[in-house]
Amino acid sequence: MKRSRGGATDLSVQLGPLRLKNPIVAASGTFGYGTEFLPYLKLADLGGFVTKGLSLLPRRGNAPPRTCETPSGMLNAIGLANVGVEAFLDEKLPALRGCGTAVIANVFGETREEYVAVARRLNGAPDLHAIELNLSCPNTEKGGIAFGVSPPVIREVVAAVRRAAPGLPLIVKLTPNITDIAVAGRAARDGGADMLSLVNTFLGMAVDLRARRPVLDNVVGGLSGPAIKPLALYMVQRVYREVGLPIMGMGGISGAEDALEFMVAGSAAVQVGTANFFDPTASVRMVRDIDAWCRREGIRAVRELTGTLQFPHGAPPAPCAG
Amino acid sequence: MPFDTPAAVVRHESLNRDHFLLTLESPSIARAARAGQFVMLQTRDGTDPLLRRPMSIFRVLPGRSGRFQILYKVVGRGTRYLAGQPVGARLATLGPLGNGFRLPPAGTRPVLVSGGIGIAIFPFLVETLAKTRRRAPVLVYGARTKGDLAALGFFRAQRVPVRLATEDGSVGVRGFVTRLLEPLLAAPEEAAQLELFVCGPTPMLQAVAALAARAGAPCQLALESQMPCGIGVCLGCVVRCPGDDQGPMFRRVCTEGPVFRATEVLL
Repeated sequence: MKRSRGGATDLSVQLGPLRLKNPIVAASGTFGYGTEFLPYLKLADLGGFVTKGLSLLPRRGNAPPRTCETPSGMLNAIGLANVGVEAFLDEKLPALRGCGTAVIANVFGETREEYVAVARRLNGAPDLHAIELNLSCPNTEKGGIAFGVSPPVIREVVAAVRRAAPGLPLIVKLTPNITDIAVAGRAARDGGADMLSLVNTFLGMAVDLRARRPVLDNVVGGLSGPAIKPLALYMVQRVYREVGLPIMGMGGISGAEDALEFMVAGSAAVQVGTANFFDPTASVRMVRDIDAWCRREGIRAVRELTGTLQFPHGAPPAPCAG
Repeated sequence: MPFDTPAAVVRHESLNRDHFLLTLESPSIARAARAGQFVMLQTRDGTDPLLRRPMSIFRVLPGRSGRFQILYKVVGRGTRYLAGQPVGARLATLGPLGNGFRLPPAGTRPVLVSGGIGIAIFPFLVETLAKTRRRAPVLVYGARTKGDLAALGFFRAQRVPVRLATEDGSVGVRGFVTRLLEPLLAAPEEAAQLELFVCGPTPMLQAVAALAARAGAPCQLALESQMPCGIGVCLGCVVRCPGDDQGPMFRRVCTEGPVFRATEVLL
C-alpha cells in the first residue's frame, strides 16, 4: 500500500512508568487470560491486555442468569469468577511468555488484606507488566459497600498495594457509581497510583415483565457497551482535568473513532471491553484503523492527541450542574 | 479451530410463520463443523442488537459448496432482524464453536428427543450417524402445536422414524414428549441399548433427563444459554453443575458444552 506521507504513525504511548506499543488495551473480564484469543489475533498487535480479575483463592462466581442484553449494551453479574492468583502464576502467565504485548493483571479482594496478598504474590512475576486494581468489589468488612466509593478507603487500599508490589506499575480502575469520579481519582493518586483506568461498569438492572422478576439472578449487574460511551467520555475528560494522572479510558469503545475520541478527551491509552464479545478482532482492527486515521489527518504520533479537547465556552460544568 | 468470517447469505427461506432456514457460505466453517456445534451469528449491522446470537448448525450441505444451514425461529429482536437479511448479505459468523455430540457406540440405538426449535441441532447429527455407520436413529419430537413443527421433510427423506407430540393434540399424541419416551424406556433391557440426544426447553430437558436416569439410559443434553461471546471469556453462559460442600460448580455452555451428559449438569 502506498503511503501519503513517509513513515508509519508512531503509535506508542507512555503512561507514567508503563510504555505500550500502541494505545489499544483489551479490558479485564472481556479477554480471559489472553490465550483464548489466539485463534483470532496476534497478541503482539495489541498495546496490552488486562486479565480477568484475580483473587487470592479461585472463585466460582454467581448463579446464572449472569448476563442480559440491553439497548446497545449488556448487563453482567459474573460474580468475579476466576482461577485465583496461584493458578494464574502457575498455568496462565507461563503460557503468555514471549507474547509480545504488555500483560496487566487485574486484582481484587474482599478485604484490604486480600488486595495486598494478591499484589504481593504478583510482585516480581516474570513477564508481568503492571497490575490494575478493581475497586468495584464489595468490601466485606464494610457491609459490602464497594471499596471504590469511599475516598479514604481508596487511598488506604491503593497505598497498601503500592507498598506490597513496589516493582509493578499500578493502575487503579475507578467505578463510575459515585457522585464525582474526580474525587475517587484524587484519592487513588494520593495513595500512590501511577495511572487510572475508567470507567468500570454502571450499576443497572433488567426486568422480566411477564415473570415480574429481575432478569439477573444477582438482581444488579454492571452495564457496559456503546450505551455507556457518553457517560464514560464525560468522566474521562473530568478526571483528566482534575487529577493529573495518565488515563486509560474505556466505556463502549467499539471502533477506532471511539478510541480516538477518548484520547482527545484525555486518555493516554484506551481499553476495549464488550466489543471483544461481539467482535473478537475489534481490538486489533482498531490499531490498524487508528494508524490509518492518523496518516490521513497528518498526525505523526498518536500520543499528541491526548487531552486536545477544546472548550470554546470555557471550562465544562462540574457533575452537579444541569 | 474456529474462524471469524463474513458469511454470505446464499438462500433464506421462510418455512412457516416464524421459522426460517438460512443457508450461509463459509468454506472454513463448513469444513470444520461437527454435529452439535454452533456459530455466533451477527443479526444486523450496528450496535443494537449488540451481541451475536448462538445458532446450532442445522446441516452442512454435501459436496464442496462450503455451505451450511441454520434453522431458527423468530423469538425476539435479534432473530427478527435476522429474518430480514436478504440473499447476498454478509453476516459476521464465528465458528464452529463448542463440543458437539459424542457419537454413540456402534450397537446403540440413538433416540433424538426434540422440543420446539431444538430440532435445529438434529439433522447434522442424523447425517453424521449415517456417515459413521451407527445404528439408525428415531426422532421423538414435541411442540406446542402442529404449526411449530419444522424440518419434518428432512427426517422423512432420511427415513428416520418420527413420533410426534403436541400440547394441543393437533398432530401426534396430545401432551409432552415424555408420553412417547416412557414406553420406549419401559423395558430395561431395551433402555440399556438406547442413548438419548436431547435439545429443547429446560423443563423438557429436566423431564427427559429424569426418565433417562430412571431407565439407566445414557443421555446427552444440548443446552441453550444467553451467550455474549461464545468463546469462553465472558463467563456469562454458565450452567449449574454438581459441586461440593462449597456449593455448585458452574461450567460454560459455550466451551465445556453446549452438549453435556445429563449427569454433568443441574438444570
